[in-house]
Amino acid sequence: MRNMTLYVHLENGSPVHRMDPLTKMFYVFTSVVISYMLPTHLLVSIVLAVSILMLIIGKVFRSILPIIGVSFVLLASILVVQGFFHPDRATVLWDIGPFTLYKEGFSIAFLILLRVLNMVCAFGVLILTTKPDELVEALVQKGLSHRFGYVLLSVLQIIPQMMALTGKIMDAQRARGLEMEGSLWVRVKSFIPLLGPVVLRSLAETRERSIALEVRGFNSTGKRTRLHELPQYPYGTVAKTLLTSLLLFVIVWRIWL
Amino acid sequence: MSLLHVEQLKYRYPNRSVLALDEISFTVDKGEFIGIAGRNTAGKTTLCYALCGLVPHFFKGAYGGRVLLDGDEILASSLSRITSKVGFVFDNPFSQLSGAKFTVADEIAFGLENLGLPREVMHERIQESLHMLGIEHLRRKNPFDLSGGQMQRLAIASIIAMQPEILVLDEPTSQLDPQGAEEVFTIVEKLTQDGMTIVMAEKKMEKLAAYSDRILLLHDGKLIQDGEPAVVFSREDLMEMGVEPPIYTTVAKKYGLRKESSPFPVTLEELLAFEMDEPLDGLFPLQEKLETSHIHIEELSFSYSDGQKVLDSITLDLSSEPIAIVGQNGAGKTTLVKLMKALLIPSDGRIVIDETDTIDTTAAKLAKKVGLIFQNPDDQIFKKSILDEVMFGPLNMGITKAEAKSLALQQLKAVGLREKAEENPYDVSLAERKLIGVASILAMDPDIIIFDEPTMGQDYEGKLRLQEIIAGLHAKGKLVICILHDMDFVSEVFGRTIVVGQGKVLFDGTTKAAFSQLDIVQQAQIELPHRYQVARAIQQKREFAPRTS
Ligand SMILES: Nc1ncnc2c1ncn2[C@@H]1O[C@H](COP(=O)(O)OP(=O)(O)OP(=O)(O)O)[C@@H](O)[C@H]1O
Ligand SMILES: [Mg+2]
Repeated sequence: MRNMTLYVHLENGSPVHRMDPLTKMFYVFTSVVISYMLPTHLLVSIVLAVSILMLIIGKVFRSILPIIGVSFVLLASILVVQGFFHPDRATVLWDIGPFTLYKEGFSIAFLILLRVLNMVCAFGVLILTTKPDELVEALVQKGLSHRFGYVLLSVLQIIPQMMALTGKIMDAQRARGLEMEGSLWVRVKSFIPLLGPVVLRSLAETRERSIALEVRGFNSTGKRTRLHELPQYPYGTVAKTLLTSLLLFVIVWRIWL
Repeated sequence: MSLLHVEQLKYRYPNRSVLALDEISFTVDKGEFIGIAGRNTAGKTTLCYALCGLVPHFFKGAYGGRVLLDGDEILASSLSRITSKVGFVFDNPFSQLSGAKFTVADEIAFGLENLGLPREVMHERIQESLHMLGIEHLRRKNPFDLSGGQMQRLAIASIIAMQPEILVLDEPTSQLDPQGAEEVFTIVEKLTQDGMTIVMAEKKMEKLAAYSDRILLLHDGKLIQDGEPAVVFSREDLMEMGVEPPIYTTVAKKYGLRKESSPFPVTLEELLAFEMDEPLDGLFPLQEKLETSHIHIEELSFSYSDGQKVLDSITLDLSSEPIAIVGQNGAGKTTLVKLMKALLIPSDGRIVIDETDTIDTTAAKLAKKVGLIFQNPDDQIFKKSILDEVMFGPLNMGITKAEAKSLALQQLKAVGLREKAEENPYDVSLAERKLIGVASILAMDPDIIIFDEPTMGQDYEGKLRLQEIIAGLHAKGKLVICILHDMDFVSEVFGRTIVVGQGKVLFDGTTKAAFSQLDIVQQAQIELPHRYQVARAIQQKREFAPRTS
């Protein structure tokens, strides 16, 4: 089974890896919010550029690409819908058969695209460079219940866990003669018999897991402790203050000025 | 007042008609080591559940009688209160992982954090339990990337570290290499000296006899006897209940070796007090060599994505007769057979099956040629009913539904699961799930059948069945390859044995020769078959005995 998280482990870490989870969460929040408040392509591009820069510093830029790839379907449909059907239709950009692409629609679609890309990248900064257990622990220390923390942790692991489970079931099926390797059509065809078992197995595993948690004292009511101390991040306060001021500035600027 | 007090305990799983536990009463005192023996479906696992509160708090159903833990009634107590006193090790270690931790050390810490232990204490206990179970070198590994046996060691370590008052273990050594199993028993015995109470369900009767103070013999949900090992294992009707006594007792019974009306010996030492001979008939059979498919492995190396070399230039030729593969946990046995099935691709070297290189084919195309029964049956099962599960393979081979069904039913009959064909595979025991795996592969009638630890969790009857299945396959000209930790089974069924250790082949030759090389036996963490141990001990005793006359 492959590693169960999206987290990218680096032997020597990186400045972004060393940042504490809360600061990174602050960053995600600020970055996403202001990208939606800023009006022009240029400004949103700058926000996006910062997120990408963070990914590069964190040495995880390559790992975001498949995730962008997955969200591409979503992005493409935004482009199509907005580009072709946005009500502001003045300037014709392109004629494709019976359809016409308008500049206004395209411009708005492009802005949305930048924002969504930024959202993916900003979340990437958080998810790819933070150990999920540390992320959740940081929240638990801030008062989140440990039960909810566990749920959150499971949510963070849903994709990798599903991938691992799918891998297992695929092994079981291919061992018994269901062809899954080869042309695209073969793969697509083999995908459908996978769905049922994946759901069935995750249900079974969830049940087993809840027994396991019971047995390991997860529901005990006493105080709990933590094996690893969360490393102190010396620039945490500074970074958070800066991010907050930036956020306030944008809000004030966009709403009152 | 005894620590555990079970009184007239009755329990029935929801939607079932038979009682899983039927009027069970016994008591356990602090520091005792209690063994639970019984065939599959006797109710061992359910009794374990009842002692640690999962029955009735997690598994609902009909419950009667009382279980008192330290005077508190389990039914009235909360599960978290019970689990703070009773530790439970599952029969399937995979199901015990928390899923919240990403290294072996952190996984052990999970339970300790919930107990609220101070950090220094946690570090100490983690270190100690890693050391006890011999998995220190794995502390940074992801728990999900461990071999079956390594995972089982982790499961035990993570419960022992919590230092419960009562430790309940459900077949904790089913996937361990023989020396690992012995270590677990020694560890557990040591814990009883520190005042921990142990209740352990096990199939390794020699070990139960040597270590436990008392044995609870279960059959069909009833407690047949609660007594000292010697008394329980001397029963005449033991085999009728599907329980095989320790080999030492069997030998003693054969020759009528016992002191007047006292029970038969149950350990090697006790047996050796008598004069006797144990001929090795039936041991190390040489199997007839037949024309079979052929696997050629050449300079094979393999690493998982973390880069550590798991197999290191292995060269082997497999054909003609059933072959056993044995060796230490984590040696690379499972990895080797997955490569043979083309589920993994060699990092270096090649595997040729008859004329096909595994690189040029796919696992699916090999389905008719090579069948692999997975180590963890849960990794192999994905359907809602046992029958559907077994039919899946045949259906992929393009035969009609009716034919597939008849094939499937035939195989289910061979493994003794015909009556349960319509049930959900998740509702039957681990040992039965393992047999589902066997049936689902045999239904496809491949030329080469590879079993990864088939005897795991099997009782006497199950092993006998497997033995017949293997003999039948061999007679039909199939090539059978078996990974095993049960050396008695190896010595009774296989003529050829391959010993692997740390990714290399340590020995390849006749089974008899394998067990004659004590240094290899030691290095590979295996043990001598019990009957062979007896024979050797007798011989040694003779040699060292002072000669009279
Ligand atoms: N998916 C994986 N990723 C990384 N390492 C793995 C993975 N699976 C197994 N390993 C490692 O490879 C080595 C060999 O594992 P393998 O499962 O082949 O052992 P095995 O001989 O079958 O052991 P066991 O008797 O415990 O089943 C072990 O050290 C194990 O930790
Ligand atoms: Mg294995």
